[in-house]
Amino acid sequence: MTAASPSTAPTGPTGSAGSAIAVSVAGLGRDYRDHRALSDVTFDIAGPGITGLVGRNGAGKTTLMRILAGQEFGTAGRVHVFGAPPRENDAVLRRMILVREDQTYPDLKVRHALAAAALLHPHWDDALAAELLEAYELPPDRPIKKLSRGMRTALGIIVGLAARAELTLFDEPYAGLDAVARTLFYDQLLADYTAHPRRIVLSTHLVDEAAELLDRVLVLDHGRIVLDAPADDLRGAATTVSGPAAGVDRFVAGRPTLGRTTLGAQARAVMIGRLDARDRELAGHLRLRLEDVGIQQLAVHAAAHPDRTAPITARAL
Amino acid sequence: MTTHPEGASPAPGADRRTAPNWIPRAAPGTGRGTGRGTTPGAVVTVVRYLLLDRMMYLVLPWAWAAFGFVLDVVVLRLTPAGHTDHRWVGGLAAVFLVTFTVGVQSVVRALPYALTLGVSRRTYFLGATALAVAMAACFGLLVGVGQIAERATGGWGMHMAYFRVPYLLDGPWYLSWLTASVVFVLLFVYGMWYGLVFRRGGLPGCTAFGAAQLTVLALAAVVTTWAHGWHRIGHFFAAVTATGVTGLLAAAVVVLIVGGFATIRRLAV
Repeated sequence: MTAASPSTAPTGPTGSAGSAIAVSVAGLGRDYRDHRALSDVTFDIAGPGITGLVGRNGAGKTTLMRILAGQEFGTAGRVHVFGAPPRENDAVLRRMILVREDQTYPDLKVRHALAAAALLHPHWDDALAAELLEAYELPPDRPIKKLSRGMRTALGIIVGLAARAELTLFDEPYAGLDAVARTLFYDQLLADYTAHPRRIVLSTHLVDEAAELLDRVLVLDHGRIVLDAPADDLRGAATTVSGPAAGVDRFVAGRPTLGRTTLGAQARAVMIGRLDARDRELAGHLRLRLEDVGIQQLAVHAAAHPDRTAPITARAL
Repeated sequence: MTTHPEGASPAPGADRRTAPNWIPRAAPGTGRGTGRGTTPGAVVTVVRYLLLDRMMYLVLPWAWAAFGFVLDVVVLRLTPAGHTDHRWVGGLAAVFLVTFTVGVQSVVRALPYALTLGVSRRTYFLGATALAVAMAACFGLLVGVGQIAERATGGWGMHMAYFRVPYLLDGPWYLSWLTASVVFVLLFVYGMWYGLVFRRGGLPGCTAFGAAQLTVLALAAVVTTWAHGWHRIGHFFAAVTATGVTGLLAAAVVVLIVGGFATIRRLAV
């Protein structure tokens, strides 16, 4: 699989042209009566790309997406989509779609749900919808309330992809899908994105599965963005070093680390920084094992030690 | 690993795909306008969206009207006629109850998907209200025409007053048309209010909402009793005509619509 070019370069918040900032979030906060869902969230999304919004359950992913889609309201900060606040703004809202994991549908048949999307989205591709219906084996005449959870999820995916909205927000789009269907989703998403580049935001906690798709990763933890970097910069940005404790200590000496565990004479440490040939030679000499830290694991570390992963974000940006 | 999709050509085989005939042609002509505000085209699109659920909006109210009619005919056939010119039946009330339910459903089930598809709350509310008004006009017409037929046939040959309701729907057909339409819209919009509260607060919210209204009514009754105002209220209702009642109901509709419009714009559902 392939990924597209990251697009973080701001060119001014006009939001109209393909390379201008489409989403601009600054200092966004959302307080509920008993907890703070979002705090000082700031990021931009410019040109076409697939952004992964990563975080644990309750991190604030859905709240952030709902605010972007004008369905929820922030209590602090500013949100602009295509150059204007999305709330109650038809001109902005008609250019975007948010498909949620727990999407509520009217009492309609599958084909009616697609017909509704066709009515409301100017770039709707009904041929793609038909193709995806077939791929997911979704009966168009079946009432939505009689679909299984996986089928409902597939319906959301079909609507989200075939709408071809300029800003497509998928909130945990593959809940309830088996591995085969998820792979189908990744393949379809990438194929359609390649043919019709647009801004796609994908919230997920199955990061490694989707990692190859992503241009950029935003990690949200307790309502704060703890990591924001192009996905390419994250690949190989951290390494797990394991082997004899003395060798591990020597190898990681003077490098930033995210954690170290010891079991008898063996040790394991996660260090930040790319390795060169000399590093690998040294590791071989010290009989150490080196493994790239996946984006998923990096996101976990970023949530646990946002200060220590800051260098990754700083370099990436 | 990384490619740059800008300017990429469509996927191979894309031109071979054919659209199924059951999906409306996707839509440069969505009629959703170009401005940030609501356009008439956008309201019409919401109406079309809602009417995809034909059962809910086009079948259910009329089916209940027909069912109520048949049920009342059967009941009157089975019961002695007595010595009255009008055998009042309440079957028409079923339609109003269904209307309330349809109003609830239009918010609880249809609103979330409309929001997903990028409809603003304001546009949705205006579209749903427009549909309610159109449905009400048709229903009112049915009541008006039904009254004419009912009077012409001697109450369907059995003195049945199905389309007539004492005092409220017992005047000339055009007044009945207006009154029935207003009551229809009133219940639809009232149902939408309950739907909004349900989306936000669930069953406990709806219970509290209903309890609050009953409390207000109870307080009003207590205040009226303390102020010895029941006589004046009795006189007021004795004096007010069916036209006056229709006007009062229409005022209530306006209050509900304005209140609903203000609420839906501020409520995260």
